Amino acid sequence: MAKKLLPVVQTAGLCKTFRDFWRRPKVEAVKDLNLEIRPGEVFGLLGPNGSGKSTTIKMLLGLLYPTRGRISLFGKSPTDVAVKSRIGFLPEETYLYPFLVARETLDYYGKLFRLPVSIRQERTEKLLEMVGLKHEAKRRIGEYSKGMARRIGLAQALVNDPEFLILDEPTAGLDPIGTRQMKDVIRALGAKGKTILLSSHVLSDVEDVCDRVTILYGGQQRAAGDIGELLSDRDVTQITTPALSQETLERLRDLVRRLENKDILDVTHPRAKLEDFFLKIVEEAQAARVQTSGARAGGAVPDFLAKATEASTHEIVESLVTASSGSEPLPIEEFKPPEPEVEQSREVIEQLMGTEATPEQEDGEQAREEKADNEGPRPTPRADKRVIDSLIDQADPKENED
Amino acid sequence: MKIALVFLVLIGIIVLGLPFSISGDSSLTGRVRSFMSYSLTATALLLGMLTIFMSRSLSDELSKRQILTLMTKPLPRWQFIVGKWAGITIFNIFFLCFTGALVYGMVHYIKVAYPPSDDRYDVAQLEDEVLIARHALPWKTPDFDRGADILFERNLEEGKYELRLDFDPQAERALLKEKLTARWRVVPPLGARQFAFHNVLCDRSPGNHVQVRYYTRITRYPADEIYRSYWIFGNPEKGTPVVAIPTQHVVGRFHTISVPAECVAPDHTLSVEFHNENPFPGERQAPNIIEFLSKDEVEVLFVVGSFEGNLLRLLILMMCKLMFLAAVGILMASVFSFPVACLASFTIYVLAGTRSFIMESMDWTTRSSFFATESLEDFAVIAASHLYRVVTYIIPDFAYYDGVETFVSGHNVSLAWVLQGVGVLVFVQTFAVLGLAVLLFHRREVAEVSV
Repeated sequence: MAKKLLPVVQTAGLCKTFRDFWRRPKVEAVKDLNLEIRPGEVFGLLGPNGSGKSTTIKMLLGLLYPTRGRISLFGKSPTDVAVKSRIGFLPEETYLYPFLVARETLDYYGKLFRLPVSIRQERTEKLLEMVGLKHEAKRRIGEYSKGMARRIGLAQALVNDPEFLILDEPTAGLDPIGTRQMKDVIRALGAKGKTILLSSHVLSDVEDVCDRVTILYGGQQRAAGDIGELLSDRDVTQITTPALSQETLERLRDLVRRLENKDILDVTHPRAKLEDFFLKIVEEAQAARVQTSGARAGGAVPDFLAKATEASTHEIVESLVTASSGSEPLPIEEFKPPEPEVEQSREVIEQLMGTEATPEQEDGEQAREEKADNEGPRPTPRADKRVIDSLIDQADPKENED
Repeated sequence: MKIALVFLVLIGIIVLGLPFSISGDSSLTGRVRSFMSYSLTATALLLGMLTIFMSRSLSDELSKRQILTLMTKPLPRWQFIVGKWAGITIFNIFFLCFTGALVYGMVHYIKVAYPPSDDRYDVAQLEDEVLIARHALPWKTPDFDRGADILFERNLEEGKYELRLDFDPQAERALLKEKLTARWRVVPPLGARQFAFHNVLCDRSPGNHVQVRYYTRITRYPADEIYRSYWIFGNPEKGTPVVAIPTQHVVGRFHTISVPAECVAPDHTLSVEFHNENPFPGERQAPNIIEFLSKDEVEVLFVVGSFEGNLLRLLILMMCKLMFLAAVGILMASVFSFPVACLASFTIYVLAGTRSFIMESMDWTTRSSFFATESLEDFAVIAASHLYRVVTYIIPDFAYYDGVETFVSGHNVSLAWVLQGVGVLVFVQTFAVLGLAVLLFHRREVAEVSV
């Protein structure tokens, strides 16, 4: 029986009430919050302004004391000093010393973790490389832009290679490159098995990286669970195809109407993300070696933080395939996100292919034929070959064997 | 850091500029004494202010929220507070070393900057009376308990107390003792008085000297303000040579006469006789009464250490006060914002500096009884003074540990005094304040917001 791992964070009935100068209760920021963050997951803490996200985070870190309830961090109190050596924290505003340069800042925080000099220096350089500020490392933090300071904030949160990383609005102030890199770092750390608590207003960022989320409102938990489960809408089916002709679209509408007695809700052309377009432009500028005094595209995630990179994933899968088949492994393409599910109804495929129809389809077909007879002969539509090929590829293997 | 640099420059300007702007009594000794007094007092004041300003770093970290990043690191809060205090203390050690070196250098510069042929610039006097560490033994009047008893018995026999209704024997004896002591301190014309200083632990080798410092207080000032008398030192019964030293000094000032150390007996006793008599036959002098009213008006001084050692001990005493101030600054900064913390720290600084003065001025109120008050106002005044008396037991007496005047007058800043300062100021009061700061900061919510 697998040993149940202790949650990294556990709260029970957590409450926080802020008082005024005369100690009268004024604002109930958190009410009866029961939170659990499991080891190795990326956990999202969402909510509108004033919902208690930052207050919760500060209580987890011992920066605020709860009015009622219990908190445990790695099974201990948040004020336990030893626990803090396992945590990295990026606050919602970057509170660093403006008179220190970037290198000194990371070195200073590294000293607080009692890291040996050599490790401190090595990590400082690698983190500066990662956040793209190696060339600006001798400038004082006070001279940095907000985004650049944010990057250094991330670097200081990672200097101790924490087991539990808390990121409060990590992408605030970052350009799209930095945002993308932040998400890459989060994914890489998550893949390594680190536990991450992410609080953000940018819902798309949370959606991209989190495993589980909880939504707060008025200091109370309103929803919580696995992000896939929370967001999936079982009432709608989405199919993605290459461009189709109008006639094919009409036939599809009729088919769905006939088979499912439902109308297709929406047919549109997808739009590229502005983020991708922006990154393309920046990459072109970098390829042309245009000068900049700001942040540059960061380097790879340092090895001391994330050893499970995409290449490693490639190797692992490759080795598994080799081990199972005993033959030369098939070339594996670059990792792609899973294709959206396509309706693999046998009837739909056969209908499109013009193969044997079912009795219901025959009735329907007969009705259409009768209508067509009344209207006159209709030309038989030609199915796009690419559609056919893709449908064949995605068909049930057993169907193919048959 | 910029503020610290400004203060450093200010101290440098003061210390380097003072020798050229003040002259004291125009003698070399006066110049050096004035320079050391002003420069060391100014340094103590400026460093006190700087210490309070430097503690603002804690207030800044709290207000600018850098504390949020710090407190999430494995850094115990008590270490953070003690570290802040240690940092300010190290700064102060550096500043004091810098100032001490400057003062030492300028003193020796002044010593060589003036022509030694000019009587006003007597280097030997400077080295004997200022650039030295001398222990001062004040004189002790004899105990007239026995004399008071004898006088009391005689008065009783003569029936002088028969008609007195409020006669109190104890009070009467005390009064008689006081009268005898007062009479003994007054030397009539052609009269003499004998003193004996004990524990004169000096080097009795030939060539060494001890000094007798005295204040001439007379009842009628002569026209030329000069009074003539003579002193006899030594005790042949104890095997010491006897030396007679005639003096003619300006009245109303302290004067110092050098006495051969051989006059001090092997049991470390120096026998002294003062004669209120003109020893200069060619000079006319009207008879006058000489009074030695205070125990400080006659003292014997002997060398116990060097100028350098004395300066070092003085700097340590100053350091003790700065360490306490640093702890107060940290305590206030851990609780209040910078302006309030600064104001509170300065208030305590002023209270510490004036504590003995305020305690003396409030003495009559604290001796008064609550039940003897006639109005609410009197009651409030007495209550406030009692409360203040309690508070001042917590706040140290900086005036007591002010060694500048002792140092400037060439007296020894004793090791016992320094150890007392270290023990009380540092180990008791400073650490108590630091402990309180640690306790308060430990309970403080550093991310607290005002609602």
